[in-house]
Amino acid sequence: MRTRILLLVVSLAVGGCSASAEPGVSLTAELVTPVDVELRWTGSDPAAAGQIVEFATEPQGAYTILQFVPPGQTTYQHPDLMPETTFYYRVRPFYGAASAPLDVTLPPGDYSEKDQENDHEWAPPKVVPGAAAEKQPSRTAVPTDFAAKVMHANGIRFTWTDHANDEEGYLLEVEPQGGTEFTQAMVMEPDVNSVGLITLPEEKSATYRVRPFRYGPASSVPHQLTGRAP
Amino acid sequence: MRKKSRAAAGILAICGMFLGAQTAYAQVEPGGWTSYSPGYNVQLKGCGQTNGLTFTLSCSSTSGEQRAERRFDTYTGGTRQFEGSFKITSMGGTRISLKQTFRESPSAGPYFIMAAERGGRLYSVEGGATIASGATVGTSVRVNTVNQVGNTHRTYINGSLKNTVSSPSGSYYDKFGAYRTNSGNGPITVTWSGIQFWRK
Repeated sequence: MRTRILLLVVSLAVGGCSASAEPGVSLTAELVTPVDVELRWTGSDPAAAGQIVEFATEPQGAYTILQFVPPGQTTYQHPDLMPETTFYYRVRPFYGAASAPLDVTLPPGDYSEKDQENDHEWAPPKVVPGAAAEKQPSRTAVPTDFAAKVMHANGIRFTWTDHANDEEGYLLEVEPQGGTEFTQAMVMEPDVNSVGLITLPEEKSATYRVRPFRYGPASSVPHQLTGRAP
Repeated sequence: MRKKSRAAAGILAICGMFLGAQTAYAQVEPGGWTSYSPGYNVQLKGCGQTNGLTFTLSCSSTSGEQRAERRFDTYTGGTRQFEGSFKITSMGGTRISLKQTFRESPSAGPYFIMAAERGGRLYSVEGGATIASGATVGTSVRVNTVNQVGNTHRTYINGSLKNTVSSPSGSYYDKFGAYRTNSGNGPITVTWSGIQFWRK
């Protein structure tokens, strides 16, 4: 009888080691070639602002973000992987209210040597003291006063008023003119309300927005052992 | 209540045993690796500064030696693997070297350089090949380099093979941090974490 109880406890314990409590997203990882993994998932929260796809090579992490993906995306390809290595994957939603979008058009010109010699004091993410603002959870804390100042032909300083009281950070998002969706250009610490962005060539005309964010629960965590390199 | 606590502690302990065992068997590239900790010295030049694993070039100078790096011990022959993650928190400049594999002999010189461009939104290697574009500044990027001396030097970014070059016989060492390349300039602040070395 004691043996049975011990076996039951061990069984429950081992079974409980690999699964987080009732993950909302069910994730599968398929080795489609010896060094390519395809991820597929179901159960995404349509109310999320987006999702992050992460990987690790040990079961307890550390996890690295592979990509921010839109809320509707349910697949991801992780190609040309390190051979004979175990990869662990998870997907997490993130939530947060975005500012009103802001269109910015930059003067023509490449990232010149003169521009590069700019000291860029305006670029590091900063918390600039301002008037006291009413705070609320990040899901409803729309940043206000979102403004852009063109600093040179490939550099923009953004400022806004932070209204969030529980954010894990801020995201600066960009959609180049002619694009179809916003992507994340920068992740910042909580409470930041000023940052500079060096633009990519395709962002001469683009739309920007900022949002405070919090991550939601992690998906199930499948893993795959890659094969020998081709 | 006390019994429940004991049972929970027992389950956690058993979990720890199994998870600990899994961690011990984690692999990186084909097996046979031995973890080791090479010695290093910190190299600071010009406007370079360090605070632990955070490396800063505080100036935008386009000339002179601007450097804040860790230079690890030289090795000869065999296969060496470096692993680390970097996070650029701010970069006004461009073409800043983040990771170098430096050849010391028979001819000395930077053999492999991975650099950040355009405010940390592009990553490239010496010779100009872009190995990541549209990067999200402020997120961690994992780098694994495998130098199979006399064969190839491979670079994996976030687990994916991004660069392979031949690796002539000789002596090499690893460096990481922030270093202004000939055509680059700061400022930049980059923080490294999870640094590990293996050999076989």
